[in-house]
Parts: sequence; C-alpha cells; structure tokens
Amino acid sequence: MTHPTSALDDTIHQRVRLGILAVLSESRRADFTYLQEVLEVTPGNLSQHLAILEEAGHIQIAKGFEDKRSRTWVTVTRKGRSALASEVATMRALLDGIGIGQRS
Amino acid sequence: MNADEARESLAFSEYARKRARDDMSRPWLALVLLASLSVVSLSLTDAATSPTALFWVFAGPLGAGAIAIYAYRRNQSSGIESSPLAYVTITVGILILAYTAGKIGFAFQIPGVARFGPAFVAAAGYFALAWIERSWMVAAISFALLGVALAIVGFDLSSQQSKALVFGLYGITLLALGFSMRAGRKQLL
Repeated sequence: MTHPTSALDDTIHQRVRLGILAVLSESRRADFTYLQEVLEVTPGNLSQHLAILEEAGHIQIAKGFEDKRSRTWVTVTRKGRSALASEVATMRALLDGIGIGQRS
Repeated sequence: MNADEARESLAFSEYARKRARDDMSRPWLALVLLASLSVVSLSLTDAATSPTALFWVFAGPLGAGAIAIYAYRRNQSSGIESSPLAYVTITVGILILAYTAGKIGFAFQIPGVARFGPAFVAAAGYFALAWIERSWMVAAISFALLGVALAIVGFDLSSQQSKALVFGLYGITLLALGFSMRAGRKQLL
C-alpha cells in the first residue's frame, strides 16, 4: 500500500508553480511581468520556477519583441493542464481524508 | 507536505485563478452587452427600416467592433490574454437568438413575444455568462433586463415606452461597466 502523498507531483505542488499553472489554465497566455506581479516573486525566482515547469513539459515559453521591448509569453500545455487538475484533486482528497480522520 | 501547506497551496492557487479571471473578464463584457442590448432595442421596432432601426443596424456592430479592438489591445497591455473565441460565439449566439425571437413575434403577430422574447433571450444569455464567469455584476444585469422585459409585457407598455426603458437600462449598464473597467485599470496600474 502506498502513502496517499505519493500521488502528488513534486514538480508542481510547490506553491508558486501551482500558482503559475492556475493563472495559465484560466488564460490563453500570460506574460512574465504579469505572473511576477500576481505571484509576488522576484524575476530570478520566477525564472527558476518557469524553467522547472518547462523542462517537465507543463508550459511553453515564447520570447519575442513587441514595440521594441522584449516580452516573454507563457502558455500552459495539455500535460500541464491535466497535471494541475490531478494535483488539486489529490490535495483536496488528502485534506478530506485528514478531516475525516480528525472527526472519527 | 503537511495539511497546512496543502491548504495554503490550494488557497493560493484559487487566489491566482480568480485574479486571472478578474483581470481577463472585464474587456469582453462591454462587447457582449453593447451588441446584444443594441439588438434588443432594435427588435422593439416592428421593422428594420425605420431611421432608428437602421441606425442601430450599423451603430451596434460598429460599437461592438470598436470595443472588441479596445478589449484586444487592453488584453495585450495587461499581460494576460483570454481566447476571444468563446466570447465571440456567445455574442453572436445572443444576437441571432434575440433577433430571431423578435422577428418570430412580429411574423406571427404575437406582440408579447415580439417585445418580451429578445430581452428574455439576452437575459438568459447573460445569466449563463454570469455563471461561467462567476460575475455578480453580469447576474445583476441579467435580472434587471428580465425585470424590464416583464414590465414591458406586464404593464403593456407602448413601443416608445419600451424603448425608453431598454435604453435607460442600456445607459445605466454602460455607466456601471465604465466604472468597473476604470476600477480594473487602477488595479492593474
């Protein structure tokens, strides 16, 4: 029998990475500055989290120039979307289980 | 991961999701409201040949188009983009259904349907949108429009009175929307 927490995905259950996927799953794409503002992280910190998610195939990053300024757009992949859904479901199930255990 | 961390992570992801939804939802709203209220107003006239009706045939889509361009540019500058496809589909769907309801009412000489139908269709469309977007403001507009439609039929208002009532709601809605978009802009800046 495996422990219920083994169903959690180490790549995305970290708070900021979960937040990144949550924002992206609601939108078509979001830019680096927007993510930084919403998640209240430093550029360096955000870059590290994005790199981890990109390496795992959960997001895609596109860099380009708009109005002579560089802009980085981030998009969630199908894999990232389903990983987020299953992570949230697993965490809710774990919390429900703890709640039942505490009541009984 | 302990229970407190899991709770905190879930709460944070819910906050991020809601924030993204709030930042994306405002620009398209004006597009849907302007377009469908224009058609509701238009359908209150019995033919699309009167000067007022002809004005709305052009002004409605032009206004909606201008707002669509504004919404697109605003989306780009805000840093988060939503797919416009669903909203364009909803707008076109409400337009066609509202216009058809009005035309059916006039074709079959059922004044109640002609006056009540388009507003009812638009109100139902807004209510569905309010549910999808979890927006209390859209839900309030939906109920207000339904109230206007019921008043038109219940008090047997004339075409002029009906139009005045719909235009009144139209004006109040756009004002509320303007304030809402301004508030949203302040949050983004």
